[in-house]
Amino acid sequence: MTTPTNSVDFSLVLASSVHDMKNSIGMLVASLESFIEDCPPANEKQAKHFNTLHYEASRINAELVQLLTIYRMQNGHLPLRVDQHYVIDVLEDQLARNHSLLDSRNIHPRLECDDNLEWAFDADLIGSVVQNVIVNCSRYTRNELLVSAKVENDFLRIFVADDGTGYPPSMLEAPTSSVSGSGVNEGSTHLGLYFAEEIARLHKQKNRVGYIRLENGAPLGGGCFNLMLP
Amino acid sequence: MGEINFSKLRFLIADDYSNFRFTVSAMLRNLGIGQVDMAINGADVLDKCQRHTYDVILCDYDLGAGKNGQQVLEELRFRKLLPRKSLFILISADATKDVVMAAYDCEPDDYLMKPVTTKMLEQRIVRLLHQRQVLGRAYNALELEDHRRAIAILGHLASSEHRHSRTAQKMLGELFLAEGEYQRAEALYTRVLQLRPLDWARLGLARVKHHLGQLDVAGDWLEKIVQENPLYLPAYDVLANNWERLGEARRVQMTVQRSVEISPKSILRQKRLGQVAERNGDLNTSLQALRSTVRLGELSCHACAEDVFHFARVAAASVEQRLYPAEALLAEVTEAIRVAKERFRLPKEQTTRADLLTARILAQGGKGERARLLIREAETLLNTKQDVPLEVHLERIQALQALGEKTQAESLLQDLLQRYENDQDALEKLDALLSEPVSETNRALLAAVNREGIELYNQARFDEAIDCFEKVRHIFPRHVGVHLNIVQALIGKLRAGHKDAHTIKDTEKALATIGSLIGPTHSQYARFQRLQSMAAASMAS
Repeated sequence: MTTPTNSVDFSLVLASSVHDMKNSIGMLVASLESFIEDCPPANEKQAKHFNTLHYEASRINAELVQLLTIYRMQNGHLPLRVDQHYVIDVLEDQLARNHSLLDSRNIHPRLECDDNLEWAFDADLIGSVVQNVIVNCSRYTRNELLVSAKVENDFLRIFVADDGTGYPPSMLEAPTSSVSGSGVNEGSTHLGLYFAEEIARLHKQKNRVGYIRLENGAPLGGGCFNLMLP
Repeated sequence: MGEINFSKLRFLIADDYSNFRFTVSAMLRNLGIGQVDMAINGADVLDKCQRHTYDVILCDYDLGAGKNGQQVLEELRFRKLLPRKSLFILISADATKDVVMAAYDCEPDDYLMKPVTTKMLEQRIVRLLHQRQVLGRAYNALELEDHRRAIAILGHLASSEHRHSRTAQKMLGELFLAEGEYQRAEALYTRVLQLRPLDWARLGLARVKHHLGQLDVAGDWLEKIVQENPLYLPAYDVLANNWERLGEARRVQMTVQRSVEISPKSILRQKRLGQVAERNGDLNTSLQALRSTVRLGELSCHACAEDVFHFARVAAASVEQRLYPAEALLAEVTEAIRVAKERFRLPKEQTTRADLLTARILAQGGKGERARLLIREAETLLNTKQDVPLEVHLERIQALQALGEKTQAESLLQDLLQRYENDQDALEKLDALLSEPVSETNRALLAAVNREGIELYNQARFDEAIDCFEKVRHIFPRHVGVHLNIVQALIGKLRAGHKDAHTIKDTEKALATIGSLIGPTHSQYARFQRLQSMAAASMAS
């Protein structure tokens, strides 16, 4: 066995470089948005390029945020801050955050949520879960997207639905089982779902724990992502 | 609700990156905001806020060199440059725990994580402005310190069901507590808690119990809150106060320590930890906390010269107790003192006090010549000036003790005892340097503790007896009787079969301390020798 003389904690190095990357990408997305605003695409082809740029940058950004959050979760550095929030505020924030992405892809999001619906949760974490789902949906939906929330059986159900082709059967059965690697070859690690499930599970109330559920069909005919919070 | 007239609003954007400033200011202008100012660093924000009142301040956490966003917010409040109705929004790209905790800890009106898109920012701002409009009359009343009117307005807002009733309830609870209206606070928090177990309401209720003197109930609740939500910092502060009132200095320290681990950037908690740990005789923890206090103080409005003195004092004591070699701390203390002299423009007697502290450490490090020089310089001041504060004299005596000038130290001590014979406060301070306390309070305290400790010892409750004597050991470090009692209780423990390494080490350490305090002529020397052989026998058997 060899003993490394200068052993560095690789996960720590990775986390700090992911942090840098995330900030860079954040700047990139912001610059890109103001650029598109200043010079709107002149033709179909340009619009398509802008689209790709914007979508991929948003995706990297979302993925890096996830990575960092999972890293912190595993190291016990993730501050969970549960407070009472108006659900509509959090959902509106996420749609606003992705406004330009959705706009560029010609997707018309709908928000259905009672103005006065309040719930206790960590708004930043739940916000980033919803954000990831929205970015993901923007890729698979045709042109509809519904973000909604209501109370069911004493759980807050936040759901994001699209009119795309829906989730593949393997994911419906065990959404997060493939996170460890089998999905890598297909270009998807399902990291997002793992992330969502972990965040949901951090939310506890008495003996009930949050969870996620994937469905196809209702209400828009495509996939439907459900986040259930006690 | 009336529409908000954006054209009348004035905003300030603070970020060291021009990119962000320009993007946001373009967004605000699109929104129709009348005036948008920019600041490039913390000093700039403070300067602009001194000259204008802003409706909204958007401030990045990281502002380059100088103060960060949290320190800016603290200082704005501290210098009363931020009226209640000004909204302060903190934005940060750094999601590390320390930064997030520090950001929440200073309670901005809103806290956003980068990347922030303009659309999202716009939404948040509009939402906050609406809230401000609804709560505006209450803010005005608070600004005028008219609490009765604020309570009336908030009471109305809190009882009707609408978007901002929760915020109104929170503010109302704070006001009830501030006004000592505990019954009304209790009723309010109980009502909120019937719907959901929200942390702020649980904390509010615990605070009510604390103020009503139901300290055990309050303590139980607070422990439960921090157990379920270990990151809820305000609960630790109240819990520490609760232990303080119960007289449990150790528990105060443990509680403050936990909160400091969660949020190490809080200068006020570090300061408190430094104080309480010193009181408990935990010089190591105290030194670390005071070192952080001094470092955090570089850019904080909560810093003062006393922090540096305190750090230097505890450093000197740590060196005397052989926790650290003098060389390890000398440079650090000297530098902290140099900076403090400049920054706080210390008057002559305070710089003298600082020099004496340095001399104390120098003397311990074998640099007697330089120490003597500093002491001599200080003496020219002390001998000519009449109204030098007692603290400076005490430092001189300790510096002399460190040099081994026992006779001179003793005669100065006697002079001071005479001069302050009618000043109980001063006598209490002198007690720390004496082998027997002279102030009435400390004499009574010592007598009571000895009574209690001996009673516990007689009941063979050795651990409790040790804890009891320990409470006063740090207040009277030169009191031989207290040390002897501790040794006696430790021997009791050894004889009862608790021969763990810890107890043995404590016993040896206590005996060594006594050995350094007394010689064969001391009246308690015989008892010391007796205990020494008893200890040896019970450790060996």
